[in-house]
Amino acid sequence: MAELIGGILILLGAVLHFSAGLGLLRMPDPYTRMQAATKAPTLGNMLVLGGLAFYHPGWTLKLLILIYFVLMTNPVSSHALARTAYRIGIAMTPQSKVRAQPRSEA
Amino acid sequence: MIRRAGITVVVALFGLVFASVAFHHVERQSLPPLSLSYVKLVPQELGAPNVITGILLTYRAFDTLGEVAVLFMVAAGVGLVVGAGGRLGAGSHVEAREQARQASEIVRTGAQILAPLIAIFAAYIIMNGHLSAGGGFQGGAVVASCVMLLVLANPWQRLNPDFLGSAESLAGVLFVLIGVAGAILAGGFLDNRVLPLGAFGAFFSAGAIPVLSVLLGVKVGCELSVIIDGFRV
Repeated sequence: MAELIGGILILLGAVLHFSAGLGLLRMPDPYTRMQAATKAPTLGNMLVLGGLAFYHPGWTLKLLILIYFVLMTNPVSSHALARTAYRIGIAMTPQSKVRAQPRSEA
Repeated sequence: MIRRAGITVVVALFGLVFASVAFHHVERQSLPPLSLSYVKLVPQELGAPNVITGILLTYRAFDTLGEVAVLFMVAAGVGLVVGAGGRLGAGSHVEAREQARQASEIVRTGAQILAPLIAIFAAYIIMNGHLSAGGGFQGGAVVASCVMLLVLANPWQRLNPDFLGSAESLAGVLFVLIGVAGAILAGGFLDNRVLPLGAFGAFFSAGAIPVLSVLLGVKVGCELSVIIDGFRV
């Protein structure tokens, strides 16, 4: 039973990782690509690592530390990249509904 | 069109080369004699479970010393090329630094939380070089990544070049001194048996290898930090 739950979690994580890769290829501008490359892999990593915890209960503490590390690094680095892209004035795609003009000064 | 055809031909040729490599590759069933003797000798003579670290820090430690010297020359070269421009236009440089934006609160908080974790991880990698994967070079690179994160979070913070320089020189001098001690007390230059070998697989074991690892980690970390410092505004 535990192995089945773990397998389903890992499969869900793999689907999220796949969607992230698809988003990286298909999204039109850096901001949407960044979003695809941040949200989906963060949750996908958590699901894969959580599924591994069902397979190997002895690894749970290490896997929790890994999840914490992923949660601390992936969103922060994506935030820094997106903020820099916004600050140096990289244009959004015309399809984007929000018209926020990049600012030069904070 | 011709360019496209040329690219296609080149790609096809690469494919041929790699296909021949892939199809003719046979996995070895036994180690070649040289590897076999190293795999036997390192745990026996040096008392280090990690064969690669044993080779890098004892049998080929002189090469390692040369590699660190190369890294030192790279750091000095970066300082010379990038730093010279800063000294010529010192006024504009200070201005540019004042205009440098403050990092956002998220990045600063993230760096505060992550930097100690990364530092602990670096210390772990350096200290376990003789037991498992890792060692001075890798750990030093992790130290430098920690420094890089702190520099990104606090763009105005200056690194202290005097401290980095003296720590690096001290580590280098101690490394060579241990090597000379090996030449006098044990089998030759940088022999690890100047210190007792200890219990096989214990944290303090394998003679001078952990000490050399720490010195290498300090030296590589300082050198890479100097390079990072040289490349910023």
